[in-house]
Amino acid sequence: MAILEALLIDLTLRVTDLQRLNAILGDPQTSALITGALVAFAAALPGTFLLLRKLAMTTDAISHTVLLGIVLAFLLLAALPGLEADLNSPWLILGAALAGVATVLLTGAIQRSGLVKEDAALGLVFPLLFAIAIILISRLTDDVHLDSDAVILGEIGVVWADARSHCLQDCDEVHITPDDPRAETGRRCTNCAELDIGPRDPAAEFEEYCVNCGRYTAAEAWRARLVSRAPTQVFWPRAITSMLLVALLNLAFILLFYKELKLGTFDPALAAALGLRPALLNTALMVLVSITAVAAFDAVGSVLVVAFFIIPPATAWLLSDRLAHILLLAPLGGVLASLTGYEFSRGNLLGIAQMRDLLLLLDKTIGLDGFIEWNTSISAAIVLMMFLFFLLAWVFSPRQGLLLSLLQHRARRQHFAEQLLLGHVHHHQGTAEAASELAQDRLHLHLGWTPRRTQRVLMRLRLRDLVASEDGALQLTARGERSVRRFMALRGAGGASPAGD
Amino acid sequence: MSLAGGRNWRTVAVLLALSLAVIPLSLALGNIRVDYTLVTVAAGGAVLGIVCGVLGSFAVLRQQSLLGDALSHAALPGVALAFLLAGRELGWLLLGAGIASWLGVLLINSLVRRTRLKQDAAMGVVLTAFFALGITLLTYIQSRNDASQAGLDQFIFGQAAAIRRQDVVLISAVGLAAFLVLIALWKEFKLITFDPAFAQANGFPLRLLDVTLSTLIVIAIVLGLQLAGVVLMVGLLIAPAVAARQWTRQLDQMLALAGIFGGLAGAGGAIFSGLQQGLPTGPLIIVVAVAIVALSISLAPERGLLWRAWRQRRDRQRFAAQQVLQDIHRHATQHRDPRYPAPGGMLVALRGTLARPALRQLQREGLLQAGADDDWTLSERGLERAREAARNQLLWERYRQFGEELGLPSVTVDTQQPIDRLLPATALTRLETLD
Amino acid sequence: MNQTPALHIEDLTVAFDSRPALWDVDLVVPEGVLMAVVGPNGAGKTTLVRAALDLIPRAAGSVRIFGESVARARGLTGYVPQRSSVDWDFPTTVQDVVMMGLYGRLGWLRRPGAAERLRTRQALEQIGIADLATRQISQLSGGQQQRTFLARALVQDARVYFMDEPFAAVDAITERAIVTLLQELRARGRTVVVVHHDLQSVPDYFDQVTLLNVEVIASGPTAEVYSEDNLRRTFGGRVAGIARLTEEALP
Repeated sequence: MAILEALLIDLTLRVTDLQRLNAILGDPQTSALITGALVAFAAALPGTFLLLRKLAMTTDAISHTVLLGIVLAFLLLAALPGLEADLNSPWLILGAALAGVATVLLTGAIQRSGLVKEDAALGLVFPLLFAIAIILISRLTDDVHLDSDAVILGEIGVVWADARSHCLQDCDEVHITPDDPRAETGRRCTNCAELDIGPRDPAAEFEEYCVNCGRYTAAEAWRARLVSRAPTQVFWPRAITSMLLVALLNLAFILLFYKELKLGTFDPALAAALGLRPALLNTALMVLVSITAVAAFDAVGSVLVVAFFIIPPATAWLLSDRLAHILLLAPLGGVLASLTGYEFSRGNLLGIAQMRDLLLLLDKTIGLDGFIEWNTSISAAIVLMMFLFFLLAWVFSPRQGLLLSLLQHRARRQHFAEQLLLGHVHHHQGTAEAASELAQDRLHLHLGWTPRRTQRVLMRLRLRDLVASEDGALQLTARGERSVRRFMALRGAGGASPAGD
Repeated sequence: MSLAGGRNWRTVAVLLALSLAVIPLSLALGNIRVDYTLVTVAAGGAVLGIVCGVLGSFAVLRQQSLLGDALSHAALPGVALAFLLAGRELGWLLLGAGIASWLGVLLINSLVRRTRLKQDAAMGVVLTAFFALGITLLTYIQSRNDASQAGLDQFIFGQAAAIRRQDVVLISAVGLAAFLVLIALWKEFKLITFDPAFAQANGFPLRLLDVTLSTLIVIAIVLGLQLAGVVLMVGLLIAPAVAARQWTRQLDQMLALAGIFGGLAGAGGAIFSGLQQGLPTGPLIIVVAVAIVALSISLAPERGLLWRAWRQRRDRQRFAAQQVLQDIHRHATQHRDPRYPAPGGMLVALRGTLARPALRQLQREGLLQAGADDDWTLSERGLERAREAARNQLLWERYRQFGEELGLPSVTVDTQQPIDRLLPATALTRLETLD
Repeated sequence: MNQTPALHIEDLTVAFDSRPALWDVDLVVPEGVLMAVVGPNGAGKTTLVRAALDLIPRAAGSVRIFGESVARARGLTGYVPQRSSVDWDFPTTVQDVVMMGLYGRLGWLRRPGAAERLRTRQALEQIGIADLATRQISQLSGGQQQRTFLARALVQDARVYFMDEPFAAVDAITERAIVTLLQELRARGRTVVVVHHDLQSVPDYFDQVTLLNVEVIASGPTAEVYSEDNLRRTFGGRVAGIARLTEEALP
């Protein structure tokens, strides 16, 4: 990790200067922004495939159960001698990955027993594992900085505080010996404690000793004013590194196995027949979800992280049918939601309005007792932005948007009604019962429509010269005939009912 | 109504007695002092558990378990808004939660109907978005720093200790009303859960009944929130039902058992969390409830895993014994001497490792006599039994082949069963004289 | 034909998302007739039954049962849905399922009593599964499940029955039981519309047949309508060996 960070620092320093970099990283806002965007990016990639495989709720389950993996791994580390238990240990990631896989396996095993249905099996396993984790945490609260708030919300606002320092210049350790000119000497009483006397007592004996001897890191030396130049340091938040690593891992996995994942998602049977091991890929996806969830856990908590997996891919899916596009759109949308969501948490709603003004308005109208401070969790605000984007996509999507489908639906219904009437005429004209079936004033009875609707459709058809009436009975015109044939041919091509038989 | 039904009601009664016994037992073991608060908390937990268990059964049977998860999360913003508008009065909070849950249902349904998103994705989107909205509102409320907000946190992980006496009264009243609706519409709910199309074809207003039943489930979720919390509510909703399903084959018994298990989990979780400051109730309830599920899945008669494993073993052994008996009989017939001994080694080679226990069992039953050198001879009774089995097999084979042609009554073919017991004597003679 | 037909469908069109599943269907089923509905997958057979029972909305057309609207004729119709349409792990017994056929006429708030139990008993006996009455439904074989559904329809005591693929994946004994039941129903003057998939047995079991592929290709007495030509028009090239089949099966 440290090496990777050094590399990143080296890279970033080529485009910016040291002071600005430290200002950026040390700023809670920007570091939160960067972390949020990374989480969104990393989660959207596996999230897309899970969404398309109808495993969205499995994602939900895994994001909950990784918590148990973290807690158990932590307890194990604490119990083993020689290993330091801390929440940044890579072992926790292993624990979380195992917990994620265990969730899927356990659910599968319960389901295969035939005693419990799939949905109920999932609904039993993840609450149980999550409940155990919460109980364990509540027993550990003193030792670990984990509490239920952190579990739900994460602490993206303070990721900057947990940083690793990297020294770039003037990094030498300082070793002060009694001979060093910087050494300071003091006097202390050697027998005071023994004789139980004060240092002013005449019997007291003294010796000289070095007050500040010892080893100092560069930073400590600077703080103790032992060196004249401050070391050049960068404080790099750990969360950024781990999220970046996970994002790269997810990206690499999807680039490497793109075609296998694609085939395994849309046609698992074929994928299996081709020897692509879709089950193995599935497990790999679950592991990625677990790892992503545990890396994001510090930042956004284990409940809200689910949104990062599901909502951006769902939004992208509303906008496009093509897997490649979804895979591009989902992370992009997620990152965008992180940025605007962060602003939203500070009261800026997409630059359109300030929450303070809204609350002021609410205070005037319904009364909030004057509490108009907008103060909210960053991760919740990001999720709300994701949801807002989702809703916007739903309403305005060029493919399945509500607006569009409302218009299209009307147009399609109209077209369908016209074809229906034409078809009816086509069906009965020239037959024995034509006179009764096609009489204009009785037509609505046969179709089961209201007379008004029948008249409206008929009018449209007449305007377009598709039907004509002869002695009160309808007949198709030549154009009408052609229209019916065209429609029938079209229907024959793909008229199977989705309801099936 | 029938013998089977009667036996199962006994199972329900026994499990009820066991559940009731657990509570004083654990009180004694845990050395817990019974006081007024504890009684209130336990009563509240039990009532909530019963309501959730009974109504949750429908969520399980309709295969909507995870919808319960989505709806409990969706309730959170309702709770927060109700608090903002009306203050900390349980009735209002529940109403707010109910309305928010219902909005969640509507949103999920219209997403499934109008977009290409499937049920799971729609639930995931609604669940997280509503939850985030709830959290946002809660943090806003917390930032106001007024004292009355205490106790809102309980809705996230549940806090039985926050249940007051008047709350228990309110919960019981709402639960009772829900039960009355359930009893009044019992046969309709049963029908739409089992076969909605048939219900509709019989003229029942499917949509209306569906909405009513969903509302009952929402009520159970909303009531249960203070106990289990939004995050773990789904466990309290479905675990009692899943456990109950294992013990019974009838809907009414399943609901009764789910109520008992739910009550046990609710009361147990509430009491345990009362013992320890800062221990949320929800997780404890879930652990108790899932423990009941685990016990049920392994122990329940007929369906349980242990039961099935034991029956499989018994069947395999019985089958092996019968085969060995017939092997010896065949061997003897080939040598034209009913008492001709069969070497044990041959039988093991023929039937594998199960042959030895089968021989021992047959010997114990007095059907075989062991000779010197691992030789086995049929006893008088053994001979009779072997002939009987051979005849049984023959008749079954004939029945399978010609039964339909002869117009014999239809029974399930099971060569392990004595055919005499399943078919009338006339049918047997026809099969016997078939040649 | 001055007698009111049991089922009269006129100009029925059903569409899913503006795609027709049934197109301008006209169908008349006289009383006392066993009618098979035959057609390829996706032909709208199930849709026809569901639309006739008003379970799905119609885009156009009308359905009359003995001259009445479907809603008013509920007491006259019986329905056997596809076996796979329900969860057979539901905690209930065979007699319970059969009794569900009586719920419709019991009305709100009333519970089944002695009379209903007797009717249930009789139906179970008639269909030959009285010994399964208290059996949990998850323990039934496919054929027994089908017969449970038939018994449930039988207690409905309807004048016109709609059965959706009752012969699908059942054993020979059940198939024979269904045929016997159909003949009994006909003898009692009942009308039965059956969605059927086995082309071979149509002439043996049914008086009339409707060949359906979104539109009605042909409908009428089996002897007149069930011809190789009509089958070809219904199934297109999709059924191999139609010629062989019709040689064997047609009268």
